[in-house]
Amino acid sequence: MSRYLIRRVLTMIVTLFMIALLTFCLMHIVPGSPFTSQKQMSQAVLDALNAKYNLDDPLWKQFFDYMRGVLHFDFGPSYKYTGKTVNDFIESGLPYSARLGLVTLCFVLLTSIPMGIVAALRNGKWQDMLLMFLATFGVTIPSFVIATGLLYIFSFKLGWTPVYGVDTWKGYILPMIAMGGYSISFLARLMRSSLLEVMGQDYIRTARAKGISEVRVIWKHALRNALIPVITVLGPTIANLLTGSFVIEKIFAIPGMGGYFVNSVTQRDYTTIMGMTIFYATVLIAMIFLVDLFYCLIDPRIKYE
Amino acid sequence: MKKTLSVILALAMVFSLAAVSAGADGVQEITYSLFSQPDGIDPGITNNSFASDILANVFEGLMTYDTETGSLICGEAESYTVSDDGLTYTFTLRDGLKWSDGSAHTAADYVYAIKRILDPATGAQYVDLVSTYIAGAAEYYAGETDDFGTVGIKAIDDRTLEITLYNPTAYFADILTMWTFDPVQEATVAANGDKWTASPATYISNGPFYVTDMKLGESITLEKNPYYYDADKVQLDKVTFRYITDNATALLAYEAGEIDGMNQVPASDYARLKANDEGFVLTPSYGTTYWDFNCAAEPFDNVLVRKAFNLAIDRYTLINDVLQMDAEPAYSFIAPGYVVDGVDYTDDRSTFGLSDEADVEAAQEALAEAGYPNGEGFPEVTLYYYASDTVALVAQALANMLETNLNIKVKIDNADWAVYYADVLAGNYQLGAMGWSADYLHPMTFLPLAVTGDANNVAFWSNEEYDALVQKVQLSTDPSEAIEYIKAADELVGENYVFLNLYYKNGTSLMHPYVQGYYINASQMMYLKTAFVSK
Repeated sequence: MSRYLIRRVLTMIVTLFMIALLTFCLMHIVPGSPFTSQKQMSQAVLDALNAKYNLDDPLWKQFFDYMRGVLHFDFGPSYKYTGKTVNDFIESGLPYSARLGLVTLCFVLLTSIPMGIVAALRNGKWQDMLLMFLATFGVTIPSFVIATGLLYIFSFKLGWTPVYGVDTWKGYILPMIAMGGYSISFLARLMRSSLLEVMGQDYIRTARAKGISEVRVIWKHALRNALIPVITVLGPTIANLLTGSFVIEKIFAIPGMGGYFVNSVTQRDYTTIMGMTIFYATVLIAMIFLVDLFYCLIDPRIKYE
Repeated sequence: MKKTLSVILALAMVFSLAAVSAGADGVQEITYSLFSQPDGIDPGITNNSFASDILANVFEGLMTYDTETGSLICGEAESYTVSDDGLTYTFTLRDGLKWSDGSAHTAADYVYAIKRILDPATGAQYVDLVSTYIAGAAEYYAGETDDFGTVGIKAIDDRTLEITLYNPTAYFADILTMWTFDPVQEATVAANGDKWTASPATYISNGPFYVTDMKLGESITLEKNPYYYDADKVQLDKVTFRYITDNATALLAYEAGEIDGMNQVPASDYARLKANDEGFVLTPSYGTTYWDFNCAAEPFDNVLVRKAFNLAIDRYTLINDVLQMDAEPAYSFIAPGYVVDGVDYTDDRSTFGLSDEADVEAAQEALAEAGYPNGEGFPEVTLYYYASDTVALVAQALANMLETNLNIKVKIDNADWAVYYADVLAGNYQLGAMGWSADYLHPMTFLPLAVTGDANNVAFWSNEEYDALVQKVQLSTDPSEAIEYIKAADELVGENYVFLNLYYKNGTSLMHPYVQGYYINASQMMYLKTAFVSK
């Protein structure tokens, strides 16, 4: 096990390094610079700005200087926002994004898994049809449409929730629904098909033949195995939810991290692009790693050597 | 049934009471939504227009605007004199000026602010505003001398500031309203570096308000500055600028009464709001929306082709049907609005044969004269623009008009701003969407757009006579004389059809009518010094 862990951690570090290198190359290939603004600045001013942020160094030096900072969890100063660092963006944005992400995650798990179970157990019946219709609906309608619709009805027309921000707990309700819609639909379908497959296995028939109660069959024997595919996709889902959504945070004016992923690219804010990418990649890889460890707990057949 | 109804009525009353009490009588606070977070609020560094509403209210320079009439008045300066040769400005500062932390603020702070901008390590983005005008500034910035004494700004004593210019510049006092010239406190900048703008405790300012709270990506809160020299006139106790980057959300918040105003009206709601909303505010804006011809390359190196394109555009349809906005059709690149001796020189200027409708016959005639009768042999042109919903509409309409009226082939293409602008700067385009908003209220802000070799001359047009005229404008000491040169320069660009001018912009914003006494200038900066809530 410990050899496995060491190997995994080493692979993770190499992966992160490759991601950082690739991102660095791509962003320097794209035209434009952090100092492309509404009006063209004279060459002298651009030179001064490049010197101030060491952008006149050779690229390989810029990359290694940056990576040296990353080792100390320093993602560098923002080139676009004077006086701010990428760490500031993460420190101020992450709590908002993560809080909303956790609330949404609970909401997703508490709805999608029961939905999938009910649909599987009532396979072919009206409950199944209804739930799967809803699930298809949730996957196909983009979150910004759901968000705008919810905002118009519940905030504007009915006045039950605030239009923007998460200053009160009520502010979390609509973003949670809009953000969770896709994951709920996706996980519910996955849960259903996975459970259906397990229910058709020989060992379930054996368990039933032994006379175990149906509840016990499902709870003890079927569900545990049926959850494995769900847990597999849960890793990336959690990483996505925790680091914020550009669209949802924009629509509800939530000062989370989501906006920086997209804006840093359009603004060519190099350090922010790098910092955000590395941060997200780290969370994602860590989540996938945790999921892999979790398999051991849930399925005794899986062992890591 | 009756019971349900009364419950609903009671609930409705509760809600409507709640809505009223949100801004109860006497509470002088407003929340205003900004479309984007500024990239910085350091007056010496930023050139970002999103910073303007914040900087206009927390800082004040030597000159400012009267919030009632909009005319140029003294700010922290009590008065000033100009030497006979027009080169030396001597400002007397008001007595007892203070920073928002209560410490004394003197003429030396102005000198420090300029010195800081002229240090390349500061990374000031608007350095050209200083280095173009103040004597010795360009040489100092370029590192030709280490002696700041050679730069034409000196604090004679605590209340006297002397600024010497390279050339007599009749509009220099207008330029001083720009935040770049605002003083900054040396103590806090020296102690905190770039970080001085990052927290309310170190963000010391001198304007009607000062910053008491900042939340990254969320909001910035201003409160009345008790040390401001004119604090008696300031009525608002608190102003919250909330960044709501989705303007459909901001509009819902505005209409639901959760915010008091916002600074960008969504294009799709423009017509409805203009007709029905009492808070719809239209402000003249000193700016022009146009397309650049790449005059350095075929086919637009030919003035007749440029003329044909200008004639083939139906500006009326573009403004009223395609964009459905309030704007004035433009035939010239300098926007109207600059008044000398009560007269706006643009009132009677030429339209260069253009009108708000397309003149198809004249357009085809010009194209034929250029060697392309009925569009034959004319290369396919690409209308290139930066990704934006409004500009996309314009591009499609223009393509349609040009294809129909000139019988030529037109493609459209777009890219995000950074890619687009890099292409345009490199001359790698044919016709490119552009716009210009004035930095200060003087036609001079437009003139560099056509000066040979200017960084912003992306039309790559070059004309010696024009360059000489612009130089004369800069050298002139007499505003009326300067106007004559500006007129001639404007005329020259017009007859050469250097730009495909479309319209002069108007600024639009929303502010509930109970907020009064604020002033939005033609650069779309909102001054809240005398604003108040009246309910």
